[in-house]
Amino acid sequence: MKLPLSWLRDYVEFDLTPRELADRLTFSGTEVEGIETIGGEFKEIVVGEVLAVDKHPNADRLTVCRVNAGSAELTVVCGAPNVRVGVKAPLAGVGTVLPDGTVIKKAKVRGVESFGMLCAEDELGLSKDHSGLMLLPDHARPGQPLSELLPPPETVLELEVTPNRPDCLSVIGMAREIAALMGKPLRIPEIVLPESGEPVERLTGVTIEDNEGCPRYTARILSGVTVGPSPAWMQHRLSCAGVRPINNIVDITNYVMLECGQPLHAFDYELLEGRRIVVRRPRQGESLQTLDGQPRAIDPDMLVIADAGRPVAVAGVMGGAGSEIREATRTVLLESAYFKPQDIRRTSKRLGLSTESSYRFERGIDVGGVEWASRRAAAFMAAHAAATVAPGVVDAWPTRAPTRRVSMRYGRARDLLGIDLDDAGMSRILRSLGFDLTVRDTDCDATVPTFRVDIDQEADLIEEVARVHGLDKVPAPAPAARLVADADDRPTRALLACRAALTGLGLTEIINYSFLSERLLSFVGYGSPEARLVLPNPISTDFAVMRDSLIPQMIETLGRNRSRQAREAGLFELGRVFGMQPDGRPIEDDRLCVGLMGSVGRTGLGKAQAVEPEDVFQWMKGGLEALCRAMQVPTSRKGGLSRPGIAFEEMSAPCFEPGRAVRVFMAGEPIGVLGLVSERVRGEWRVADPMGVMELRMEPLLRHALDVPAAKPVAPYPGVERDVAMVVDDATTHDAVLACMWQVAPPELVDVRLFDIYRGKGLGEGRKSLAYSLTYRSMERTLTDEAANAMHDRIKAALRQDLHADIRES
Amino acid sequence: MKAAEIVQLKEQALDEARRSGTAADVEAVRIKYLSRKGVLPGIMDGLKALSAEERPEAGRRANELRQELTKALDDAKNALQAAERASGQKRFDPTLPGQWRGLGRRHPITQVVEEAIRIFSMLGFTVADGPDIETEYHNFDALNTPADHPSRDTQDTFWLGPGLLLRTQTSPVQIRVMESRKPPVRIIAPGRCYRRDTTDATHSANFHQIEGLYVDRAVSLADLKGDITFFARQMMGADVKVRFRPHFFPFTEPSVEYDFSCHVCRGRGCRVCKQSGWIEISGAGMVNPKVFKTVGYDPETTMGYAFGMGVERIAMIRFGIEDIRHLYDNDVRFLEQFG
Ligand SMILES: [Zn+2]
Repeated sequence: MKLPLSWLRDYVEFDLTPRELADRLTFSGTEVEGIETIGGEFKEIVVGEVLAVDKHPNADRLTVCRVNAGSAELTVVCGAPNVRVGVKAPLAGVGTVLPDGTVIKKAKVRGVESFGMLCAEDELGLSKDHSGLMLLPDHARPGQPLSELLPPPETVLELEVTPNRPDCLSVIGMAREIAALMGKPLRIPEIVLPESGEPVERLTGVTIEDNEGCPRYTARILSGVTVGPSPAWMQHRLSCAGVRPINNIVDITNYVMLECGQPLHAFDYELLEGRRIVVRRPRQGESLQTLDGQPRAIDPDMLVIADAGRPVAVAGVMGGAGSEIREATRTVLLESAYFKPQDIRRTSKRLGLSTESSYRFERGIDVGGVEWASRRAAAFMAAHAAATVAPGVVDAWPTRAPTRRVSMRYGRARDLLGIDLDDAGMSRILRSLGFDLTVRDTDCDATVPTFRVDIDQEADLIEEVARVHGLDKVPAPAPAARLVADADDRPTRALLACRAALTGLGLTEIINYSFLSERLLSFVGYGSPEARLVLPNPISTDFAVMRDSLIPQMIETLGRNRSRQAREAGLFELGRVFGMQPDGRPIEDDRLCVGLMGSVGRTGLGKAQAVEPEDVFQWMKGGLEALCRAMQVPTSRKGGLSRPGIAFEEMSAPCFEPGRAVRVFMAGEPIGVLGLVSERVRGEWRVADPMGVMELRMEPLLRHALDVPAAKPVAPYPGVERDVAMVVDDATTHDAVLACMWQVAPPELVDVRLFDIYRGKGLGEGRKSLAYSLTYRSMERTLTDEAANAMHDRIKAALRQDLHADIRES
Repeated sequence: MKAAEIVQLKEQALDEARRSGTAADVEAVRIKYLSRKGVLPGIMDGLKALSAEERPEAGRRANELRQELTKALDDAKNALQAAERASGQKRFDPTLPGQWRGLGRRHPITQVVEEAIRIFSMLGFTVADGPDIETEYHNFDALNTPADHPSRDTQDTFWLGPGLLLRTQTSPVQIRVMESRKPPVRIIAPGRCYRRDTTDATHSANFHQIEGLYVDRAVSLADLKGDITFFARQMMGADVKVRFRPHFFPFTEPSVEYDFSCHVCRGRGCRVCKQSGWIEISGAGMVNPKVFKTVGYDPETTMGYAFGMGVERIAMIRFGIEDIRHLYDNDVRFLEQFG
């Protein structure tokens, strides 16, 4: 809302600069978004009278004018379309500084010398109008300073009023705030209303069919009006407040609305069928053309103002074209009413039509101030439109809402705010805001003024005290740590530990949106389409589906980084995935996704080596194992030694290279997938290097993260290392070798390390050589060579027997 | 072997060590005298055969042999290496790039969240979580949001079906926590939120908030100011100040917006704070008694404060990030700047 300060001073005195006032308002709850100055001193700018207009010899759109500047005649080149002989316009001579800082100089314009400038309104900072010269009235004298013809410069505050404070959407409302803040009196204008002629009850009547939608409706009749321009001071104030002047009747309704917040509407009384008002719901098939010329379909649950026959206005939103004030209007029916905020909001939204009027009604106007506004406007019409005001007012207000009373405990207010303000100080604040108080020992009863629609409980009054007293006076004591006895921070610590492990592994964290495009999801082809959650109202097709896996965006992120010349990347994301069960219940699951690309598993000069897809797979797996160790995933004795209890099972999905993806199990429970991204998918981002991704469910992964390990003694005796090299069938897996060893392994076998794989000449087709180093160590004694050899021989025998291994004795 | 013989043997061994021309020579001398089956263990074994008078002197000499020979062998080895370096066969270049897997980085959004968790943990807050897919009840109704409040519009909120939506704020976690337990409550709830904002330099349809809630018998607006100030100083710098401006939120009464004094210019005015000296952070206030009633707390015996903060906003201010979109672009060159 725009608040011109000279207008504000009509109702309250204040001795503050605009900046200071703006700060006071901002820190009492009405944010000042800007301070604007309209007009200026216009030193050196004078009235110029155009004496002659000639075509510019070198430019079609320009003219060369002789201008009478009072003391001299000047030649001025002009581009305005409305320049004519005889017009008077502001003239800025050589040396004048315009409000935007431009200095007028003697200049050659397309070869013709110009000694000044004839100005449009925008050039003087008066408006945004650049359609032509600002035409001055006939009585302006050439050479007269422009400042004598214009109102003095006006400072306007641009306010951001919160939705709970519709009472601040008016000049008087803001004056009340300032009066309270500054401890000054509020001056509400006295209205002297000359009334004569037939009483209003004989001229019109008001029927409210829907009392819930319209609790109060008043009508006044003003006859003998002369429609014409409103007084200059009123037009100027309207302009400063951002409202375009139209004619005296409409301007007065707007002026009073801006002044006190009550929207008014003026009907041409003679155009009202039956000369009466019916407030009702529209009948089937009724429609209305609004003032803006638009035909409007009106729903049965909107509220209309009708005459005896047809709707003439959409209540609270906009009047109809059929009853508007014309130049020929002689008698006015002035509406001042209260409409239910929810109804107006719904109607305004449905019509896609928001007006100054609907804006105020939908936030809630002052039901108690309806008649005052009507009287105020009628007095203006009598003064400025020659109106004769019919005695009395039709005031249909069948059911008055009871007066609201809210009590406040002074001690409670001090406790809640943590401030030290005495009872009298709080009472003074509430009274200054218009509350009537009954003060008792420790509390008070406040009668809530009708314009304060936001106050209905003690906390609301406490807020009034706080904001007027000043939040800067609320202390900021040193915090007191207070612990909640049964607070559980384990999930948080587990998550932090997991993230620390991931970054420790050298992975960098990414965060993607929770939604992505259908196209990316389908292209990558991973997830569960049947449970997919599609947004009914996405912002764009790029963000249309809730992700059901972190993998598609991980691949896209790797790909995008590759296309930005990143040679390698090791990334992770901790995020939530979504779905919808057949019964409509949502699914949410927290996941971890890891993505590797390029030579990320190598260091230094090793990075120059070509990366085989299997390398990436093994890095992924190594990372997974390290992570599982950090997360204390229970180890499994089966199939391995001191390895996390995770197992793999081959799987396939369109995003993975065939045969290069596995499902990951933890103690038999599927917890995710790990695989190499297929060439088809990588190709989308032209990634030639191998790329691997892994996605795991967080819950099982974090299940043991905070377990407290029980210390096991470390063997005090040296271990004995024994190697075994064997040639086996190429299909024999490492896991199979371990399992075989494990079957016959004594408790002294504490480590098995694969140190060589060889395929090639001399081994024969489909064979490979594997070399392992085994460590035997006893908790009880130093193993002798003989004892270690015996254990080792048993393992070699098992390998021969179960895997048909050809053991190479060295 | 008697002491005199041992001394003689020592001189011979030291001589052999000094004359070693290669690393292999040095090693051969070591094996000859000092290895498990070498000369010295033999001498030690032989000590038992000597008389009680001879034994101590012989033992001392044997120890001398081991110590002096070990040192001589080390010296010989070092001298050989020095000679090798001097001869330039293999130059050591300490400026070659180091080789170690680097550490990964946490996303700036995460860093702010983890930092906030750390700071509020000091005050006894623990983290609470809630679903991203929320009910209209938890996201709006229970938070005292009017039925026709514009924030409920399909223009602003991602609706998934009747009564179901993507949460527009982390405030529903307040409701879920209060529904599930009695006071005192001291939680923060970091999480994702969603609004149908068109993406630009400061808006993102998917963003993060941290909700805070403290409910007890006596909690004041001053406590809120003190705690937020503590947070501001921990997060932004020791001399950051906090100011409150009155505002309006349906679920708090009184409601405030809070600003931090600019940590860059210390309040003098700069580009980051748009010359104002202050940076707008977010909203907070005292929990509206209507919300207490909704969750079944007695508004007469309960007080509490709640605050929210935009994580992206704090990350942008803290790290000097000018466009929120950088946070979701996941360019490794960008991410690797953050610790
Ligand atoms: Zn600054």
